[in-house]
Amino acid sequence: MALSTGPRTNAAGSATVAQRLQKELMDIMMKPTPGITAFPDDENMSRWTATIDGPASTPYDSLVFKLSMEFGSTYPYAPPKVLFKTPIYHPNVDFSGRICLDILKDKWSAVYNIGTVLLSLQSLLGEPNNSSPLNGQAAELWDKDMDEFKRLVLARHKTPEELDGAGL
Amino acid sequence: MSDPAFLTPEEEFAQLQKLSNEYEPETTGPLVGDRQSSAAIAIEYANADPVYRVKTAALPAKYAFFRTCRGDGHCGWRAIAFGYFEALLHVGDVTKFEVEEARLISMNNLLNLAGHHEDLYIDFAEEAYDLLRKLAGSLQVGNGAGLLLEAFNDYSISMSIITYVKLLASSWIQSRANEYQHYISTDLKSYCSQNIEAANCEIDDVGVAALSTALLKPAGIGLEILYLDRSVGEEANVHEFSQPMNFNGLIPMIRLLYRPGHYDILYKAEDLPAPPQPAPIHVALAYNNQHNFEATTPDANLLSMIPGMYSHNRFQDMDQSFGQRWSPTSYDFDSIPAPQPQITPVQSYAPAPIAPVSASHQDYMSPVHASPMSHQSPASHHSLQMEQPPVQLPFHPAPPPPVSIDRAPIAIEREGPFRPSMYEFEPGYGAGEVMPFQTSQFRDSHYNTCHFRNPSFQPEEWSPHQYRTGNKGRHKSTSQ
Repeated sequence: MALSTGPRTNAAGSATVAQRLQKELMDIMMKPTPGITAFPDDENMSRWTATIDGPASTPYDSLVFKLSMEFGSTYPYAPPKVLFKTPIYHPNVDFSGRICLDILKDKWSAVYNIGTVLLSLQSLLGEPNNSSPLNGQAAELWDKDMDEFKRLVLARHKTPEELDGAGL
Repeated sequence: MSDPAFLTPEEEFAQLQKLSNEYEPETTGPLVGDRQSSAAIAIEYANADPVYRVKTAALPAKYAFFRTCRGDGHCGWRAIAFGYFEALLHVGDVTKFEVEEARLISMNNLLNLAGHHEDLYIDFAEEAYDLLRKLAGSLQVGNGAGLLLEAFNDYSISMSIITYVKLLASSWIQSRANEYQHYISTDLKSYCSQNIEAANCEIDDVGVAALSTALLKPAGIGLEILYLDRSVGEEANVHEFSQPMNFNGLIPMIRLLYRPGHYDILYKAEDLPAPPQPAPIHVALAYNNQHNFEATTPDANLLSMIPGMYSHNRFQDMDQSFGQRWSPTSYDFDSIPAPQPQITPVQSYAPAPIAPVSASHQDYMSPVHASPMSHQSPASHHSLQMEQPPVQLPFHPAPPPPVSIDRAPIAIEREGPFRPSMYEFEPGYGAGEVMPFQTSQFRDSHYNTCHFRNPSFQPEEWSPHQYRTGNKGRHKSTSQ
């Protein structure tokens, strides 16, 4: 009748987290999605680095964005922490790379995975949610002055090589 | 967080609203608790609003027991999922478990139709199938209730199953658009992904309706929910979502208690498996055997192998055990409110007729008791062991043990209405102060006074004399 207590549950939890991430890695390797990459940083799989390509015919066309993903012991029942590592000028991303996206917060579901998160972020680039902006200026410019918006996107952007050079 | 002092009223309100949205009432305690008397609910509300007080006071009379679910935002899903498995256990039919597993597997089509990918949901579904299989296997052993509780208190298993039933409900709603669209203002797909499938969303009425239709109704399991709120009335309102079927007199029923934002599980006394006949049997056994002793029947001889079996202290020990271990948590005994008073008469029976016998035999029989391996003791001697006072007797070398002490429980089983229990099977049960001997088997048991968990803990003290009476005595006895 012993109820599993905290530590035991956590241990079991992180074992299944690793299993699940292993499976996701397999899926990503077997069926790569164009425009998206993701790979764990180390063996314990809890931190990943991902990239998404800016969608065509958006201000982010042909730009590549690097992201970090962190998976807690309650994944997939809680969302991963996702940050833009590449500086990005976007209405729903702040200057530290934090993202405002419902599925990364309260609308997260256990059937989402790394692939769906990255695809959602990719579509967020082309369709920002301007009603709840983290970057108010960007939200305003998106609606009013697309040329200035594009200029600021390019001014803020750094390629992965530049990022690596800066030690980020 | 910015300092609340610098916020405008609107911002402050927004922040308070945010805090209140994020508030989670009770995130401690087991994910699913043990079954307990629902009087606890009435006590909890004893100082609350009169409406609640009246309604909760009426509760225990109808719903004798309840079980808490952790209020972590999943409690409604968890309560129904738990109730589903528990109801199947209640029906107790292996075939039923197999049918359910097949039915759930067939519902994968539904999930696929709703656009879920099998490789994503199959892990969650497998946990549900596994639990069905495990519980089906437990029917023979009878430990299903414990297994179920353990599974639902394992975070990963219980979240998998919760996720799975959410997907079932969501797919069910999406496959019956014309039925559910009336209740939902947005489109079904986004409603389901935001209000059903989202990892951190509590079940709503639509979800309850869908889950009971998809999961419970086809299985013949009933679902009713008591709404404990401020509405006028002397009892909580009951809403029935699903009607149970009758399985040879067994009616699987899930009853939930809803308090705004939280679900717990309720039970009526008739929902529970019939309790095994309790303590009065002990009385009968002890009483009968006292007659047997006088008649010197062979059965009495077998029973006499159990050291301390009939001593006064022995039953006191059992009394304590009932009180301490069984009444609050055990499944078998939950439904017996107070076993203690029924047992106590034993004490008055046991010592009375035997006392004179033991007095007369004590001198020459004491070695027998000091070393209980001497199972060959003739039947006429057993009465001594019954009335052995709880003092350590001087040790005399014991004859070799021809009959293993492990036989004793068999004797109990055969003896009739003594209900088998794990405690009786444990050799050396009640060893406390009654039995001065130790075998390697129960030396580490907490029934041994040398064990720190024994209520009458007495550290072992070395003395040259006692040294021989300990474990070693058993081996030495053969040579001496």
